[in-house]
Amino acid sequence: MQPRNFILPALLACLPALAQDSPEDRIYWLKSYSEAIREAQQTQKPIFLEFRCEA
Amino acid sequence: MSQYVCVRIPRLDDIDIGLFDYDRNNTLYFFILNADDQIYMRYGGRDASTDTYLNLSSLELALEQGLELHRRYQRGDLPRQERPQPLFPRQIPLLVERTIARNQCVECHLIGDYQNIHRERDGTLDKLTHLYRSPDLQTLGIFLDVPKGLVVKEARGAVQEAGMKPGDRITGWNGTPVWTFGDVQYYYDKVNRRADRVRIAVARGGEPLELAVKLPPRWWWTDLGFRQSSVDPRVYFESRPLTDPEKRELGLQAGGFAGRVTSIDSVAAMLNSHELRVGDIVCAVDGVERDEVAHTPELFIKLRKTAGQTVTLDLIRDGKRIQMPLKTLSMSFRK
Repeated sequence: MQPRNFILPALLACLPALAQDSPEDRIYWLKSYSEAIREAQQTQKPIFLEFRCEA
Repeated sequence: MSQYVCVRIPRLDDIDIGLFDYDRNNTLYFFILNADDQIYMRYGGRDASTDTYLNLSSLELALEQGLELHRRYQRGDLPRQERPQPLFPRQIPLLVERTIARNQCVECHLIGDYQNIHRERDGTLDKLTHLYRSPDLQTLGIFLDVPKGLVVKEARGAVQEAGMKPGDRITGWNGTPVWTFGDVQYYYDKVNRRADRVRIAVARGGEPLELAVKLPPRWWWTDLGFRQSSVDPRVYFESRPLTDPEKRELGLQAGGFAGRVTSIDSVAAMLNSHELRVGDIVCAVDGVERDEVAHTPELFIKLRKTAGQTVTLDLIRDGKRIQMPLKTLSMSFRK
């Protein structure tokens, strides 16, 4: 891993800090774009989409 | 985060990459959008130094701005964007042949790499645009106060001459509203490489201003070192452009791209690429001494030659003129 790539894990590791500690505020990640669209239509919420390579 | 529907996409096989367009070599990329496929903003990038463009504070700020834009959209206060032409990975033949058909992961960078190979094959590759992606803001003299998003910490060079000041908040790029570094990076990348100016909108003390920034020479240049692209001829040396007095003293053309070699990558010898030494002066490539864009021999080779080609260098070593072959190489896609 090149040094500059440390930015990715560091920032991703910080993401949970944006949520509160209570279980209802825990981040629940959907894994399908179509599912996210459906849920956003139902809840009227915006979508936060991450492209993340798991290879 | 509970105010968002969060989705993590690990494979791009069925994703509309025409809608989700970005520099595929970025290390980290998020989109904030709505259920109508309207993208509010991008958050992401790739930075080479500790003075990073990305951090938790700027992400929090982006998330807050995303919620505000969503409220404006729901109220009908935000104009609808035209949806880009859909494009799916399966429409890129080499990607299908070498990745999808083998049931391998469609890695983000592979999309850009195979698109560039297709462009090279059909003669539409424009290296300034397709190879030198995501120009660096600092080339324009913009140094951001990163935790504050697009607030300028320091304005130097081209933007300083255009009137940008510390404390300005960048709000638009060539007429498009921007909210994050990811937005600026994306729309800066869309600037025509032959353009001589870019319009940057800023807010100063609540007042909007538009600055016409004169683009410096080779503003589009970026470090290609981390990119896996096979259309980039790897040359494994770096040089410093000679000054005009140095060229005169050596009897070289004033407008030429002659450069003194300053470093040699250790793999040059292993790969039998060339036998250059630090201190050599490369004055011509295949008999050509000047170029309308390139100011160094290695940039000339990268722009004008195809990866894998062998070229002949004219150089001065210890006061004597000699010729030497240099074999360029292409990178393998797989790490």
